[in-house]
Amino acid sequence: MTEEKELIDRLSRGDMAAFRELVETYKKKMYYFALDMVGNPADAEDVSQEVFLKAFRSFKTFKRDAKLSSWLYRIAYNASIDHLRRRSLAPQAVEDTVLDALSGGFSESPSSQNPAQAAENSLLQARIEKALEKVSSQERSVFLLRHYNELMLNEIAETMQISIGSVKSYLFRCIRKLQKELDIPRTSAPREVNNESL
Amino acid sequence: MKACKKCRGLLVQALYGELDSKDKTFFEDHLARCTACAAESRAMTETLKTMNRKARPEPGQEFWEGYWDRLSRRMEKEDAAMETSSPSARKRLGRIFGLSPHWVFQAAAAFVLVVLGVFIGRTIFPPHQTPVAVAQPTAPLGPGESDPILRARDYIDRSKPVLLALVNYDPASEDSYALDLPLQKQISQDLVTRAGALKSDLKDPAQRRLRELITDLETVLLQIANLEAGNDLEAVELVKQGVQSGGLLLKINLSEMSGELSGTGRQPAPVKSPSQKTKI
Repeated sequence: MTEEKELIDRLSRGDMAAFRELVETYKKKMYYFALDMVGNPADAEDVSQEVFLKAFRSFKTFKRDAKLSSWLYRIAYNASIDHLRRRSLAPQAVEDTVLDALSGGFSESPSSQNPAQAAENSLLQARIEKALEKVSSQERSVFLLRHYNELMLNEIAETMQISIGSVKSYLFRCIRKLQKELDIPRTSAPREVNNESL
Repeated sequence: MKACKKCRGLLVQALYGELDSKDKTFFEDHLARCTACAAESRAMTETLKTMNRKARPEPGQEFWEGYWDRLSRRMEKEDAAMETSSPSARKRLGRIFGLSPHWVFQAAAAFVLVVLGVFIGRTIFPPHQTPVAVAQPTAPLGPGESDPILRARDYIDRSKPVLLALVNYDPASEDSYALDLPLQKQISQDLVTRAGALKSDLKDPAQRRLRELITDLETVLLQIANLEAGNDLEAVELVKQGVQSGGLLLKINLSEMSGELSGTGRQPAPVKSPSQKTKI
C-alpha cells in the first residue's frame, strides 16, 4: 500500500518512470480484461493502451483515497464499452471478431490435442462465448471482473460505481443466465433474487 | 422459506469464498438441510467450473516485451498529432514568417497575381451569360420550410416511428416481414438526404443539442438505409443495439420534454468540470 502511495505521488508529478512502472504492473490485467470485454486480441491491445494513455493524461482526476487498480479497471470498463459501441456501428468489425474468436485469436490449437479434442474444445469455446453474449453488458462486466480478474465484490462496486447489492445481483443473474445457456441442469427452480433480497 | 431467501442472498459470496465465518456456518448448515438450495449451489458451481475452461489466448513473451515500446510510440504519435492539429499562435506565426522556405512566398505571390488577373479580366470582359438551370435542392423540404426548429421537429417525428418499429421488432415472435424493411429504408434514405441542410441551419448555440440529436439520428438512419434488401436480421439486430445503446429514443423524449422542439428550450447547461465520479 505504501508502494502504491509512493507510485501515486510520482505519477501525480508526471514522472515518466512511474508511468512505466504502472504500465508494467498492470499491462496484463488491463489487456486480459479488455480481451474478455471486446473479444479480439488486436482490439484488446488497443483498448488496454488507451487505458494507460487516459490514466497518464488525466491523472489529476484520480482521487487519492481510491485504489489505483479500481480506477484503472474503471477506465478499462469505459474504454471497452466505448469500443463496443463504436464497433456496433460498424457491422463488418463484428464479423471479424466472430472469426477471430472462432480461430482463437493468436493461438493455434495446441499440438498436444488430437483433432477430436480440438474440435470439442472449439465447440466449448464457442458455447462459452455465445453464453457470455446473452448477458447484459453490466452483468458481463461484473462477472469478468470477479471471475477472471479476481476483484472482490467491494472492489467491483468501486470500479463500476454501483452498490455492492447491485454487484451481487448482477453476478447472480449472470451466473443463472450462463447456467441456462450452457444447459447445466438444476433439480429445482428457485425464485429470482433481486436487490432487496440481497 | 426465509432461510432459503437468505441463503440465495449469500450464494454469490459463497461461490467466491467471500463469506465471513458466521454467514459461512449458516450457509453450510442450510445447504445440508435444504435440497433445493443445495441443488442451486451445485449447478452454479458447475457453471463456474465450465466458465473456467474459457480459453484466453496468450500473446507470448515477445508481445509483452514490446508492449511498452508500442505504447510509447503511440503516445508520441498522438502527442505530435495534437500539436500539429492545434499549434499555438506563436508557432503559427513562426511557421509563416520564420520557418517557411523562400519558395512559399513566391508561390503565394504567384497565386495572388493569378487571382488578381482573373478578377480584372472578368471585370473588363464579363463572361457570356448562359442560362443556368435552377439547382435542385438535394431533397424537397418538409413543412415549416424556413424555420429550422419546425423542420427538426418534422425530422424527429418522422424518424421516431422508424426507430420504434426497429426497436420493438422481435424476430423470435414476429414474422420477419412484419418490419416492412423496404418502407423503413425508403423513409430513412429520404431523411438522410435532409439531414445535412437541416444541421447547417441549426446554427444557434442554443440548438447544439438538437443538432447533435439530428447527427445521431442521421447515423442510425444511414445504417437503416443501407441494410440489405432481404431482411438481414443480424444487421437489423445490430442497428437495433446501436439505437438502444445510444439512448436515441430517450434523447428524443428529452428534447420533446425540454421544449427544444417548440423553440422555447433552455440554454445549454454549462460544461461540468471533470471529476472522478463522471466517466473518465
